[in-house]
Amino acid sequence: MTKGPLVRMTGIGKRFGGVHACRDIDLTVTAGEVHALLGENGAGKSTLINILSGVITEYDGTIEVDGRTVAFGGPADAQRAGIATIHQELDLVAGLSIAENMFLGREPRTRLGTVDTRRMRRQAAEHLRTLGADLDPRRLVGSLRVGEQQLVEIGRALSLDARVLIMDEPTAALADAEVDRLFATIAELRRAGVGIVYISHRMAEIEVVADRVTVLRNGGVAGTVDPRTASRDEIIQLMVGRSVDALYGEGRNEPGDVLLDVRGLAVTPRRPTPGRTEPAGVDLTVRSGEIVGLAGLMGAGRTELLETLFGAGGAGRRSGAVTIDGRPYRPRGPRSALARGVAFVPEDRRGAGLMLEHSVTDNVVLSALSSLTALGVVRRTAVRRTVAEQLRALAVKAASPAVAAATLSGGNQQKIVFAKQLLTRPRLLLLDEPTRGVDIGAKAEIYRLLHRLADTGMAILLASSELPELLSLCDRVVVLHRGRTVATLPRASATQQAILAAANGDDAKEAR
Amino acid sequence: MNPPNPTAVAEAPPETPPRRPLRLPRDRHAIVDSFFRFQSLFGLVAVFLIAIAVSPVRNGENVFLSSGNLANIVRAVSEIGIIAVGMTFVILIGGIDLSVGAVLGLAAVGSATLMVNSGLGILPTVLIVLFIGTAFGATQGAIVARLGIQSFIVTLAGLQAARGIARMWSGGLGIPIAYGDGPQEAPEAFSLLSGSINGVLPVPAVLFLAIGVGALLVLRSTAFARHVYAIGGNEKAARLSGVPVRRVRITVFAISGLLAALAGIIHAGQLNQGSPNDGAGYELDAIAAVVIGGTSLAGGSGSMGGTIAGALLLGILNNILALNNIDANVQLVVKGLVIVAAAALQKLRPRIA
Amino acid sequence: MRYARRAVAILALTVLATTSACSIEKDEPGSGTDASAKCGSGKDFLIGMSQANNAEPYRQVMNDDVTNAAKDVPGFKVVVSDAAQDNSKQVADVENFLSQGIDLLIISPNEAKPLTAVVKKAYDQGIPVIVLDRKVEGDAYTAFIGGDNVAIGRAAGEYYAKTLLPQGGKVVEISGLPGSTPAAERAQGFREGIASNPKIEIVASQTAEWLREKGQSVMDAMLKAQPDIDAVYAHNDPMAEGAYLAAKAAGKESTIKFTGIDALPVPSGGIKAVEQGRLQATFQYPTGGREAIDMAKKILVDCATDVPKTTTLGTMQITKENAAEAYTTLGGKQ
Repeated sequence: MTKGPLVRMTGIGKRFGGVHACRDIDLTVTAGEVHALLGENGAGKSTLINILSGVITEYDGTIEVDGRTVAFGGPADAQRAGIATIHQELDLVAGLSIAENMFLGREPRTRLGTVDTRRMRRQAAEHLRTLGADLDPRRLVGSLRVGEQQLVEIGRALSLDARVLIMDEPTAALADAEVDRLFATIAELRRAGVGIVYISHRMAEIEVVADRVTVLRNGGVAGTVDPRTASRDEIIQLMVGRSVDALYGEGRNEPGDVLLDVRGLAVTPRRPTPGRTEPAGVDLTVRSGEIVGLAGLMGAGRTELLETLFGAGGAGRRSGAVTIDGRPYRPRGPRSALARGVAFVPEDRRGAGLMLEHSVTDNVVLSALSSLTALGVVRRTAVRRTVAEQLRALAVKAASPAVAAATLSGGNQQKIVFAKQLLTRPRLLLLDEPTRGVDIGAKAEIYRLLHRLADTGMAILLASSELPELLSLCDRVVVLHRGRTVATLPRASATQQAILAAANGDDAKEAR
Repeated sequence: MNPPNPTAVAEAPPETPPRRPLRLPRDRHAIVDSFFRFQSLFGLVAVFLIAIAVSPVRNGENVFLSSGNLANIVRAVSEIGIIAVGMTFVILIGGIDLSVGAVLGLAAVGSATLMVNSGLGILPTVLIVLFIGTAFGATQGAIVARLGIQSFIVTLAGLQAARGIARMWSGGLGIPIAYGDGPQEAPEAFSLLSGSINGVLPVPAVLFLAIGVGALLVLRSTAFARHVYAIGGNEKAARLSGVPVRRVRITVFAISGLLAALAGIIHAGQLNQGSPNDGAGYELDAIAAVVIGGTSLAGGSGSMGGTIAGALLLGILNNILALNNIDANVQLVVKGLVIVAAAALQKLRPRIA
Repeated sequence: MRYARRAVAILALTVLATTSACSIEKDEPGSGTDASAKCGSGKDFLIGMSQANNAEPYRQVMNDDVTNAAKDVPGFKVVVSDAAQDNSKQVADVENFLSQGIDLLIISPNEAKPLTAVVKKAYDQGIPVIVLDRKVEGDAYTAFIGGDNVAIGRAAGEYYAKTLLPQGGKVVEISGLPGSTPAAERAQGFREGIASNPKIEIVASQTAEWLREKGQSVMDAMLKAQPDIDAVYAHNDPMAEGAYLAAKAAGKESTIKFTGIDALPVPSGGIKAVEQGRLQATFQYPTGGREAIDMAKKILVDCATDVPKTTTLGTMQITKENAAEAYTTLGGKQ
């Protein structure tokens, strides 16, 4: 192995039309190093990564691999050079098994030329074990949860024997236990001499995992620092170009009356779906003006609980008592939930929140159409005014309300989903991972928005995998384990340790 | 009590105003985009001009442009056109309705039987037949919506069922419609369906254009239409946004059935017969018109104007090929090429990065 | 349903608004040109041939007969359209011919009733109309030319009585589509023809819906039910060929005699099957294509005004002796 860096990118620049997506960026990755890449959405991270992984083939500057200048003709060239990428938006085929996905396009063959299924499964299982994932390689990817799918994606990159691994937000969908396992894997890879480019929005992670941090801003390098010596504020300041002192906002008003009351909620599904954990004894209350957090490991049933409360869960028999304002609440579907003032921002914003190909306007007004029509005919002026108001209020950055939602950054897409739900004027807002894949600037804006909404008396129930987020944002944290409420921790007594202990079922075992 | 208005509590925009994109590329993009959005309209104009250019000339008169010929074209496309209007709704929600041709046959048989054999008047006949078509469509829609079976399969079954019912009802043979006041005769007024308004505009063509324009307005401006587009764009998001997905689905299939039945009534009036085999393959022509009109089979995007233009384009194409005595088999190939070209154009449509 | 009602209401209103203000008239036939004024030799004539369905070999042969015969008449040009079994399409085809200004229409209608109006429209414009094979209603056409299925069936029956089975024997009948006129007439004529030989017995009659593959499966079944069949009378050649295949599979193709009807001069047709010995005989069902052009020549070139309203065509018995010759005479290509 040579002494020099595995990859050296020099003077990289790329223009789209008149806009510099990247300009004059230098970046090196050495063997056994985790090099974190930070920056707000639009800072140029994706472009840089797309150049390195061969997706973008025309750019200024040079890339050297092992000291030799290379020019990739496409992603396949980059892979051959040992550069593998794990994309944030997963590139998996839902209808194929884990093993088939891992070896898609390069299936091992038997001597007869047929696919060597047994070898494929065995190797897939090995890679999964390396990741500490206990998954049957024969399972269909479509039946996996997002986090598990991400593990499959990482496993695929491992199977490529990559020397440089680009990880774009690998932990965005992972629960803490899986994150720990991933970090162990990263440590393993690092010992084996693999260079890793690591992109994440989570500051805490970067402090743990990265050897070097390069911060991008407006297409250029804002600075490269050592995360062990640089403070968090310093890094944030590099990213946004200004100091973000109060990320999570201030304390708030006293909560009001109980708005949502859930007692012993359980759902017996008509057809059990693998990977789904239906509510199996949930107790919680949310007062108006209060933000309540939902914590739990992956598969603890957080999403399923929110879906049930929104009337969007799987079909099945429901038991227990749910009231809103003291009156019984049994939504038959999202429509009746919305009619009772309950709104929901789903976790999978591309799959369940947005019509990506449709305009921002169409997305924003979809839920509130009935208030914007006369005799079934849409009032265009009213729509235009309402959308303009909402976009301004939520500080959405879009070229115009007529552009497709797909053209917006992750944070702005999330704001569109918020805008849509808020237009229905809800009294209870259900949020599932509202800041997943959102850059730190937009995250802060969302936190501030949640505070403001709570101050107007809205009740908010928020599920999140980010413990710091829950701890600093919520008045109380409800911990779920296997679909049951195992702990309710008020802000004062909620700590990461307490939540994790409960989430791992320590309390649940005693209760049984 | 009035829930708080979220817009009132949100704060002012951040300090940096959004950068204005450059003007020129946006305008060029807009032009390119509108070309693709209205491709079928441009295609229609192009085919129209080509047709004038290559039309045979008789006694110094352009045969294609003669009023009689133009009337024939719109008359010939009117049934397919009306079906295609209903099909557009179905395709916009990401579905397909293969039963329309068979429902047309069923409606034609129904019209003939009810008037000739049952001695009903025009109004009851038309109402009953339209009801049958709507109910048939709604049933298919309910099966799709409730059981979650793909519409391709449900309407394939519907196609068979409608043909079977039509054959049973008619005894397998075409039922001729004779006009008059006697028994076994239909009211004279029914034959006006094959007539023309003021001797120029064929009645079926007028019905097609009226329905087309009506549907265009519905699709442009109603909340129903937004829901249709939303379901086609992302059904899950639509459901979570409170769109009554099932109800919209059922309604859309009901509209398709209703319009297929209307086309069947027109069919019977034009041919003075209701035959159970009528309308075979019409569903494919209707789908072709919708596709040429730029509506995506994946659902969520497309326009009614495109469908109307697509239907007319197909009609003009058929007509000009026939006027130039192009071999019937070659005509089929040309039609196939046009459909592929239309779909390929949609693929070339630039994606907004 | 809120939406449905609203959408339907809007549609209905638009329709009402557009239609109520105008008067609707039934289409009156245009005055048109008087075709007889144009007739005479040394002129060019455009003849429209509207075919119901090119996909049937019989109709393809009809088209060929028309176009080939027209080649021999100076000044004749024939254009052919195919309605592909669709009445509406055939109406449009004829309308297109009228737009083009044809001098004479030959039409083989898909169905009688739906095409009556458009044929009348052409006829009322002064265009001579020759109807082939299937009739239209009323008498608004110049001439009808067609075969006589009863006569054909009778010819087949007489061939059985005198030549094929003079000593008598057991015959099975494979018939065409039930309810179709040709099937009924071919059955009726056959029974009249064999009446002179009481020793001939029809032991079974099954339908194979004009189809070769059905002929095969029907024969399969009948071979099992009837061990000693002497001959198979099929209502067309493809069914006879299918029956032959079934018999061959059972090893009985040399003991059973097969006959068909149609005698199309195409490589897959009955004449070749007779020539090659699979069928004993077949009986020509004439297309009338040549006769139609002869009549067109009389009307357009010779200015005849008194052509017969109905021409019934005879049949030709084709056996091994005359098969090769008939194939050429009827215009078949090798």
